[in-house]
Amino acid sequence: MRDPGEWRGKGRVTRRQFVRTALAVAGAAATPAAVITPGAAARSRAPSGTLTVSLPARIVGLDPLGSQAAEEPVRIVAAHIFDTLVLHDPATRRYLPALAVKWETPRPTSWVFTLRQDARFHDGRAVTSADVKASLERMIASRGPLAPLWTAVEAIETPAPSTVVIRTKTPLGTMLANLSLLAILPADRMNQPGFFDRPIGSGPFKVVSYRPDSELVLEAHAAYWGDPPGVRILRFRDIPEVAARVTALVTGEIDLTYGLPPDQIDTLRAARDIRISGAPSYRYYFIWMNFKRRPFPDKRVRQAMIYALDIDTMVKTLLPGIAQTMRAPLPSTVFGYAPQRPYGYDPAKARQLLAAAGLASGFETSLIWNPGSGPQDREIAQAVFSYWNAVGIRVRDEQSERAQWLSRLLKLEWDMDFQTNGVLTGDADFVLRRLYTTQANRMGYSNPKLDRILEQAAEAIDQNVRRVLYADACALLWEDAVGIYPFELVQTYAFRSRVRGFAPTASFPVFTRVTV
Amino acid sequence: MIAYLGRRLLYTSFALWGALTIIFVAVRIVPGDPALLMVGPTGTQQDVAALRHRLGLDRPAWEQYARYLLATARLDFGESLRLEEPALDAVLQRFPATAQLALSATVLAVAVSFPLGILAAVRQRSLLDHVVSVVSLLGQSVPNFWLGIMLILVFARDLRWFPSAGIGGLSHLVLPSATLAVLLIGVLTRLVRSGLLDVIHEDYIRSAYAKGLPPRPVLVRHALRNALIPIVTIVGLQLGQLLAGAVIVETVFAWPGVGRLLVDAISNRDYPVVQVAVLLITSVFVLVNLVVDLSYAYLDPRIRYV
Repeated sequence: MRDPGEWRGKGRVTRRQFVRTALAVAGAAATPAAVITPGAAARSRAPSGTLTVSLPARIVGLDPLGSQAAEEPVRIVAAHIFDTLVLHDPATRRYLPALAVKWETPRPTSWVFTLRQDARFHDGRAVTSADVKASLERMIASRGPLAPLWTAVEAIETPAPSTVVIRTKTPLGTMLANLSLLAILPADRMNQPGFFDRPIGSGPFKVVSYRPDSELVLEAHAAYWGDPPGVRILRFRDIPEVAARVTALVTGEIDLTYGLPPDQIDTLRAARDIRISGAPSYRYYFIWMNFKRRPFPDKRVRQAMIYALDIDTMVKTLLPGIAQTMRAPLPSTVFGYAPQRPYGYDPAKARQLLAAAGLASGFETSLIWNPGSGPQDREIAQAVFSYWNAVGIRVRDEQSERAQWLSRLLKLEWDMDFQTNGVLTGDADFVLRRLYTTQANRMGYSNPKLDRILEQAAEAIDQNVRRVLYADACALLWEDAVGIYPFELVQTYAFRSRVRGFAPTASFPVFTRVTV
Repeated sequence: MIAYLGRRLLYTSFALWGALTIIFVAVRIVPGDPALLMVGPTGTQQDVAALRHRLGLDRPAWEQYARYLLATARLDFGESLRLEEPALDAVLQRFPATAQLALSATVLAVAVSFPLGILAAVRQRSLLDHVVSVVSLLGQSVPNFWLGIMLILVFARDLRWFPSAGIGGLSHLVLPSATLAVLLIGVLTRLVRSGLLDVIHEDYIRSAYAKGLPPRPVLVRHALRNALIPIVTIVGLQLGQLLAGAVIVETVFAWPGVGRLLVDAISNRDYPVVQVAVLLITSVFVLVNLVVDLSYAYLDPRIRYV
């Protein structure tokens, strides 16, 4: 709590200093209790105060079911304005009731959800099964990035206002994971023009005003079915430039932000009234090698490229505090993660493998990537180029802007690809089945055994069965060196000391339990 | 005069049509598919194809162009591919912020550069003159994103005189306008100085002094007024630079204007928004220069429009 510099060289402690310290210590002892059980504190008091947050990317819109549904800022504000049927708890990896109080699967292809009776939209109307049906249908029809999660859905039935039945063509093991991303909107209003300028949901906050590219102001919803939020006003201010955002935090214009480079985090750590807190996230870096381009079909070459990289050193020097070494093709926070034996840094072995593959004098290749899409990505790219160069692999840097990178990526017109990815649902299926099957054909890898494992895992309703299957999948991908998985990202938040009760999770930040 | 205006309007519509066509072609020639960007890396080829069809992007280019021209004539600029609102609304909503920024930057630039330029011209080759020359050169060379960040660090973080970012009251406007004005100050100061130097040695100025007029009316009513034509022309043309600079200033200061929207729209290949934004900027530019041209008649009575 106290800056060590305070004590050094002071020698005698005055009575004033002693009393202040004693109070601070007492306060510090009391605070953990308040932080650990924020629910209890929040339940007993009405929402009060204003929390101002600045997200690292701008909020492009307030539609959680459309083409921007996967963008993090949209999902963050949607989590405060709208409800979902179930809530994903990243800490325990379980699904908690939200709008749905209970659910059952009478048959593997049929899910029955019972809705709560006391959920109200911000205009007072009750939330019913018709709203759930309309929301899911809108999501499916949007053809946005989350629509493919629902291809197995056959029909949505609403036998009663508080009962929803979702029938699927094949069993859908990720039903709950997918539902945690489905915001429920009022059926009769969501298609009205201008609805998303000030949308209505049933979540803990309602929209007061929205000025695109500038500010979104939310206010606590009085008739919310759950615990009232800790703050009365929640403001999201859009400040894209890092220097301006950090300055706003230091001057107190905003209370919380994240997505800061390590050097800014260090500077803020030293500030007296700013706290730093982080948690491993669902995001990670990876490098793919194109199986359709020589010499990558040769497993020895792929493994050599991994042995050539000193991942631990890169984490320590380039990404201190914002990343950890990855031990599987998935981040450790994700359901389905199974740690593998690390390859380790072994340039001699890399050279050996290359020689065995007939490439003793190395080879030339190229890397496509989109700068600015991940923290320290330019620094990481430079580092990996030199590591590979040291074992004779000369890599051409083909960085480009997002549209062109994406276009080449999907046409498989590349040798190697470097990018970040996020596991939106916290579930392995979101990444593994969509990217690594023969049908997905994202890097030319085809392994029928993996295809079968992933299909089974997608259709298994029993989560234990799924966990075992994903462990196999992780091992397969890791041993086959399908990609290089160096870093999983730790999301680090910087906030002012007046912010209480904020707990970073693997998923995106939520501010409902925060008090000021 | 009416005939002149009529001809100018005709030329203007050609200019607008040219801008429309150029931007239509440019934004589509650049590689990158808006449907692909919207679906993202985790989508399938079918998703992308379906979205392309829904957005009308799979029709042949000439058909898209014809539809586009016809719609524009009806003032229907289509819906933003990404924002799911009419492209015109998205742009118009942000236009006042950019206009506010550009106007205050211009006012600030004029308020600073005219006195400086006049002083430099009047005290030609003095120390003040040299200082002003250096200052105006700096103004033209300083990169505005660097200047913006420096101003934030000094005036917002260290001195706490102004807010660091965002739109709001007058205090929010100061730093962004100052950053944007710097380039214009650099250009205008030199222009005012040289424009004045051109006329200051003319006979009629000497006569005015000889008549017994004090310096201020001589300089302002006689000298400056005659030097204004090239100055006003350049200010009108500099509007383009100003709007380009606004893109960067808007990003640094989190100013919700058209510049930021345009950059995002280009990155995301949001064709309708790019087209409308460019059309709007072109229209403003053309309109301002029309006003500048008409002002010549006021500034120089010898000029008449036929």
